[in-house]
Amino acid sequence: MEKKHSIKDDFNMLALLIIPVAVAVNFVGGQLASLLKLPMYLDTIGTIFAGMLCGPWVGAVAGGLTNVVTGIANPVNFAFIPVNIIAGLVVGGLAVHNMFENWWKAFISTIIMAVISIIVSAPIVVLVFGGVTGGGTSLITAAAMAAGANIWAAFFGTEGIFTVLDRIISCVISYLVIKVIPPRTLVKFRCGSCYIKK
Amino acid sequence: MEKTYTEKIQIHKKNKLAGLYPSVKALVVLLYAICCFILSTVKLTEYELALLLIPWFLVIPVLCAASGAFNKCLKAFRAVSIVALVIFLAQSLLIPGGETVLKLGFLKVREQGLRTAITLSFMVMDIAGIFVWMFQTTENKEFSRALENSGMNYKATYVFISTLQMIEILGKNSKTIMNAQRARGVETEGNVIVRMKAFFPSLVPLVLGAVISSEERVLTLEARGFDVACEKTHLFNLEKSGIEKQVTFIAVLITIVLLVWRIYLWIA
Repeated sequence: MEKKHSIKDDFNMLALLIIPVAVAVNFVGGQLASLLKLPMYLDTIGTIFAGMLCGPWVGAVAGGLTNVVTGIANPVNFAFIPVNIIAGLVVGGLAVHNMFENWWKAFISTIIMAVISIIVSAPIVVLVFGGVTGGGTSLITAAAMAAGANIWAAFFGTEGIFTVLDRIISCVISYLVIKVIPPRTLVKFRCGSCYIKK
Repeated sequence: MEKTYTEKIQIHKKNKLAGLYPSVKALVVLLYAICCFILSTVKLTEYELALLLIPWFLVIPVLCAASGAFNKCLKAFRAVSIVALVIFLAQSLLIPGGETVLKLGFLKVREQGLRTAITLSFMVMDIAGIFVWMFQTTENKEFSRALENSGMNYKATYVFISTLQMIEILGKNSKTIMNAQRARGVETEGNVIVRMKAFFPSLVPLVLGAVISSEERVLTLEARGFDVACEKTHLFNLEKSGIEKQVTFIAVLITIVLLVWRIYLWIA
């Protein structure tokens, strides 16, 4: 029986409670990455996780809320709200269309996500912050700019590689977690049934 | 006399500025940001620098001090000022174009670079600064209550509040899990690959535990009638500090004066 799907159905109680978890995982993931001195941010794991399980709208809310909450401590993050919202939307959209079924589809999805998030974040970084935000990769961008590269080219070149890597790792982690969630819990999520072994 | 629980969770602020109603604070933030944009269009000196953003920034420390939260704000401000500093240095040193203003060894500060450096970095400082003021003087509880009063769904405010709690809980859990994994022989120090490998066993149990426990939380909340469509009772009530009208008036007045002055400069 096919029922027409509305956005309101996405926000059932479990999805509502997954949003705080996703935001906290984003936050803790970022902390953990810096604690282990990894050269990556890894602060979108929660958004990807929420998007993969509960679809685009929950993913978008989780993404947006992450930057609102981290913005309380450091308002610079407010500028990047659209980036995280779109990351959630894209992952969720891909998950709804079964793009995480097998590894090659998941790989393509990851690349799509990374490309879209670079495209969204580029204008913000270049126009609001002039290409350099003070993160670890900024140094490389700055060096490329100093060498005379165009500001857009410098940003796409350095940030591109790191974002793709970042997204691949985040996706792998979300996928690993989803794989070990018992099926009786998975069925309660909108996209959960795609990850149950038949 | 022993205080009841409802009395204990109320917030009473002595400072009138800090105790402003959250929506008034939001209005102040908005107007301040608008003033920033107005001021950034005023170009001074022969290099056309937006120098007025610098004195405008002084409003923030004054505001923080007047709200009695100067030290708290200073802490939050460090992160912002690092970003602003990096932007300033990168812009002023790297962007070519225009005459050389200043020479420092092999580094040259060019006209165009200096212009974008000052505008961008102080814009970030100003706007981020006013947000720091708002968030450091307002408790999260007050925000969510104010949002609900202004017509937001109670489920949305619940998500907001529980997010903040969840960050604390998962932060603690992650430390526990890291220690447990370390005790079991997972190496957390070494080269990048070793550290990378430590990342997975720390994060996967964390997320998994959180998901399972939120499943239980659904049952708890439903048992307590969270989903029932009826009037909700609030234990926490917002107070007004009494100077809301005056503050709104002053903020609007400053914005209008600035706007008029700017338009006058254009015409004259």
